[in-house]
Amino acid sequence: MSGTHLNRRAFGRLLAAGAGAAALAACGGSSTPGRNTPLRISAINHVWSQAVQKRLPEFEDSIGRRVSMQLLTADQLSSSYNVKLNASANDIDVMMVRALQEQLLFARNGWLTDLSDLVADQEFDWADFQDAPRQRSITRDKVLSVPVVTERPALYYRKDLVDGPPATLDALREEAFRLTTADRFGYVGRGQRSGAVTQWSSFLYSFGGDFTTADGGSGIGSPEAVAAYRFYGELLDRAGPPGATNMSLEQAMPIFAQGKAAFYIDADAIYSNFLDPAISTVQEQVGFAPFPAGPAGSKPHNIPSWSVGINQFSMLKDEAWQFIQWVSGPQMVTELQAAGIPGARSSAWEDPSTLTAFPADLAEAMRINAENGIGHDRPEVIQVGRARDIVGRPLVAGIIGQDVAPVAAEAHAEFADFLVRDNRQQEF
Amino acid sequence: MNRSLWTALRALAITVVCLIIAMPVVWMIAAAFKTNVQVTDPSVGLIFSPTLENFRNVLADGEIARSLGNSALVGLISTVLSALIAVPAAWAVGRFRMHSTGSLVLVARIVPAISLLVPWYYLFAQLGLVGSYTVLVLSHMFVSVPLILWIMIGFFEGLPIELEEAGRVDGLSAFGAFRRIALPLAAPGTATASLLAFIFSWNNFMFALILSDENTKTMPVTLFNFISYASTDWGGLMAAATLMTVPVLLAAVFGQKYLVAGLTAGATKG
Repeated sequence: MSGTHLNRRAFGRLLAAGAGAAALAACGGSSTPGRNTPLRISAINHVWSQAVQKRLPEFEDSIGRRVSMQLLTADQLSSSYNVKLNASANDIDVMMVRALQEQLLFARNGWLTDLSDLVADQEFDWADFQDAPRQRSITRDKVLSVPVVTERPALYYRKDLVDGPPATLDALREEAFRLTTADRFGYVGRGQRSGAVTQWSSFLYSFGGDFTTADGGSGIGSPEAVAAYRFYGELLDRAGPPGATNMSLEQAMPIFAQGKAAFYIDADAIYSNFLDPAISTVQEQVGFAPFPAGPAGSKPHNIPSWSVGINQFSMLKDEAWQFIQWVSGPQMVTELQAAGIPGARSSAWEDPSTLTAFPADLAEAMRINAENGIGHDRPEVIQVGRARDIVGRPLVAGIIGQDVAPVAAEAHAEFADFLVRDNRQQEF
Repeated sequence: MNRSLWTALRALAITVVCLIIAMPVVWMIAAAFKTNVQVTDPSVGLIFSPTLENFRNVLADGEIARSLGNSALVGLISTVLSALIAVPAAWAVGRFRMHSTGSLVLVARIVPAISLLVPWYYLFAQLGLVGSYTVLVLSHMFVSVPLILWIMIGFFEGLPIELEEAGRVDGLSAFGAFRRIALPLAAPGTATASLLAFIFSWNNFMFALILSDENTKTMPVTLFNFISYASTDWGGLMAAATLMTVPVLLAAVFGQKYLVAGLTAGATKG
């Protein structure tokens, strides 16, 4: 071989040198971001984010920096965080998170900045946030997120079919069975194993149960939980649509919107779907009511469905906090709530002008549900997805007409084991 | 069995299979011309008064056009670069029996994409490439190169070696024999492999979700703009999905014509 050609060893050396140079370049220290670096916000594609996006120029002017807001679906957002933050990404500054679904995991991984000192600022008025959503923002005594959107269940019903909304779960069942005909379902709701758990939680609490006991053990084998499983299963089995076990929000909601069901219980955040003539045929007939009372009273969930936090690896933490102050401050929360997006500040809820955007009966239902609300709608564990799978199994059994008790007993044993393992992972 | 009965049964089976395969596409196109109320109403089948409203809304949205452009750019560049690397490599693997090297390249197809994303993201973020077209092209090439390579190995192995040997006798170098003899004969294979690589790139969601930014995001990611937390704009989603499917469908139809011509030409020469 002539001297000008590379032999195999020389080629190897060149390759190693190239790889080394690339590695050195990659490990180079990160510099402070310049004025042209935008503040990056990762958010869910939600009416709240869309409303904030429209108001961004006002905030950009105040901080003198461009803001880039990326809107994704909940699953995409979760995947994006898991990949990027595993690699200590600093191209996300503000993170929209589901405090009940992922905050514990993110806290364990050290991905969320401690906001405890920042929210203590008098002007921010942390005490103004409703108690239940505020408590869910705290993990291991640290405030890791600030709630911006809250959610409760609402009873959607057809005003043309009943004189008034049922006040109790027993009355709901009776009416739903009565109104079930060949071309109409008495009740529609989520029946998908994991997807139904959050809506079923209000039934569970109203029967006197909870996902876990006071000492942290499984609560889904209790007589109250079994009664709630049986009630919900029977309701969907006898009055619900066929294939209910495949239905989550996306499948159940259109059935009510099409006028094919008499009752529907789901998040109050979706109410506008029934008033939109492009989607709904029941905009004149739909009524809104508080969650009906069970044997233990009316105990719906009242949760921070979406919160905002700061990426631990962000290089723009000051600006990120300014953004959080702006979007969760009393002025913006009042403004957004008046536009139909329920927030977490008590002052906004106490201001009657913020409720004028909602139909009067819905505003009243939301207020009552918020008062009675319990601050979680799923098991509070690290592996929420796995927990929902276990808890949801007896629900499916009930909906397909099986005897719930043995399935609940089995799920109870599995959930108890799961909680022991999950608790171990929570030691951080 | 009676021959005509057998033919009829075969035709019936083919029709049923075609209908089952075509059904989602038919539903998608039909839904693109429906209102959202009609889309979610199971009693409205294929008989309805169509609306162009969904297409009007989608085309008025500048983001859709930009994303389609991004998808086309990333798809074309990654496919061309992959073919430039993988086709000669496939010839070398096929001709010089380098099958262990070929298997090594195949690992890229075996490893789940999601497991590659964390190290890729880390590396590309450090190099300041996240959000650029470069990173999307590179990530797509990681899958396209092995795809083209493995399709083309079979093609080159199927070509009679005597043709290249004749060229060598007439004074061609090894590479010259590849370029002037093997490559033209493998054109149908190259077209097939490139088309499959382009389709992969066009539909890839996960790489674009993590590695693109607002300016470089491709169509599969943008499609999710129609799905929000509490509602889905089914009509808009289906109109955008139809617009996204048409270019690939056209490429496949025209590509197929070219493939048939290429195969026939090869057979005549043989």
